[in-house]
Amino acid sequence: MAETGHGGNQIVERILEPQEAAEKIKGLKSIPIRSQIANEVIDIAYGWFTPLQGFMGRADVDAVCKNMRLVNGTIWSIPIVFDLSEAEVSDYGIKEGDTVLLTYDDNPMAIFEVEEIYEYDKKEMCQAVYGTTEEKHPGCARTYSYKDKFLGGKITLVNRPKINPPFEPYFIPPLQMRKIFKEKGWERIVAHQTRNVPHTGHEWLMKGAWLQTYAELSIEKPLVGVLVNAIIGEKRKGDYIDEAIILTQDELRKAGYFGDHNHLTSLTFWDMRYAGPREAVFHAMLRANLGLTHHMYGRDHAGVGDYYGTYEAHHLLASVQDDLAITPVYSMNWLYCPHCGEITSEGLCNHKDEWQKFSGTLIRSIVQDGVKPPRLIFRPEVFDLVMECAEKYGFGSPFVTDEYLEKRTPVFTIPPLSV
Amino acid sequence: MAEEKYPINIWVNEERYEKLKNAGLADMCEEMLAGMKVIRVYANDAQKDKILARFPTAKFDASTTKSIELLPRDVKDKIFDKVVEKQSIDVLDEFLNEY
Repeated sequence: MAETGHGGNQIVERILEPQEAAEKIKGLKSIPIRSQIANEVIDIAYGWFTPLQGFMGRADVDAVCKNMRLVNGTIWSIPIVFDLSEAEVSDYGIKEGDTVLLTYDDNPMAIFEVEEIYEYDKKEMCQAVYGTTEEKHPGCARTYSYKDKFLGGKITLVNRPKINPPFEPYFIPPLQMRKIFKEKGWERIVAHQTRNVPHTGHEWLMKGAWLQTYAELSIEKPLVGVLVNAIIGEKRKGDYIDEAIILTQDELRKAGYFGDHNHLTSLTFWDMRYAGPREAVFHAMLRANLGLTHHMYGRDHAGVGDYYGTYEAHHLLASVQDDLAITPVYSMNWLYCPHCGEITSEGLCNHKDEWQKFSGTLIRSIVQDGVKPPRLIFRPEVFDLVMECAEKYGFGSPFVTDEYLEKRTPVFTIPPLSV
Repeated sequence: MAEEKYPINIWVNEERYEKLKNAGLADMCEEMLAGMKVIRVYANDAQKDKILARFPTAKFDASTTKSIELLPRDVKDKIFDKVVEKQSIDVLDEFLNEY
């Protein structure tokens, strides 16, 4: 049965089987791609980016920037572009109408049917998407680093990525994810967007969102699940290492703070743009394609610095709610109240003078100081696993270091094409 | 209006607690977050800016805790040692002058 994704479009995997792939790539010019583009090739080919079938042409980029919609009217908030320099276009001899082979790890990855080669004002793109043209905004910095020519056209994967340990179980593309949801019997699934190791504030964000999502449904059997969808992309020094993030999120289920009946962990490849409100809409589209019905949003979702208002993302989501196949669930902060002796919501507890707020950053500081936080704040199983990951994957540190960036095993590799 | 103060949380691990006890300063610790011991050294605006400029990994948690976090452990050790030496949490100027 066809699966319907974002904008009412059918989710179609654009992937060739090896035999056909080997035939189709014969004689094509090879163009090596960087990790951001490889991530997006996967997102396009497996349907995370439905209805996109490839990298955007100028008209779509323009419509996205100006109206937050594709030319066909579907809501879309962030341009998905493929960039090359003028010299590269010329050296590779690429013309509109050509088909080329994209390679990653020196191996064939995808066929790219180049329909259009164009330019777009990067400042204009930044202003529209990020609401600023400042270079210190990480999304603008990324945009300014793009080369000057953009190529639009369809993508077809010719070689499936090999997901490396320990990430294999968490790579669940949209069609597979929807099957899992059906097997679990979940009628509603709420997304928890993360790039963090969970402390109990995060745990309660998920529990709170689960309760909100459950609402009027029958409690005779489990009907609601939380999907932790970790964003895996470019790392910055000082971030938690990817292995610690994905394994500790799943540890909340394994250690019984959740269970198979209400919790699942997965990943999406995406380099965060920190586009705040527009990124919130983008996350809704991604998760709608994964088959989710609800999406949790806290304050200043996907924001950075003070570029966006606390509730700006909520307001933008509300303005396009009718065009999104996902219902936002808004969450207040959870904190520790020594008077209550528990984690509580700032919307519930009135011991305001006694509140002790904590954040992922604060917890990272505690761990960095060599202190094991109490279980009310950070689950011991999570702490122990963070330390295990530091030894096993992080060259002694749970945080990204130069050594980790240089020597880590990538989350995925593209193997030689085997026929 | 009182000047804003931003804490640097120096979480007291066993090693730091031993040093405090030996110096008779164990009661300088506050208790936070369900039983963790912490010494809070406060920075004013100018000191905050200096710290963030001097230690690029440090981050001011503007949205939740309003504290200066993610200073390298050895830097925090030095601030902590200064607290023990001076028997005071008012040590940031001296620390910044010396570091």
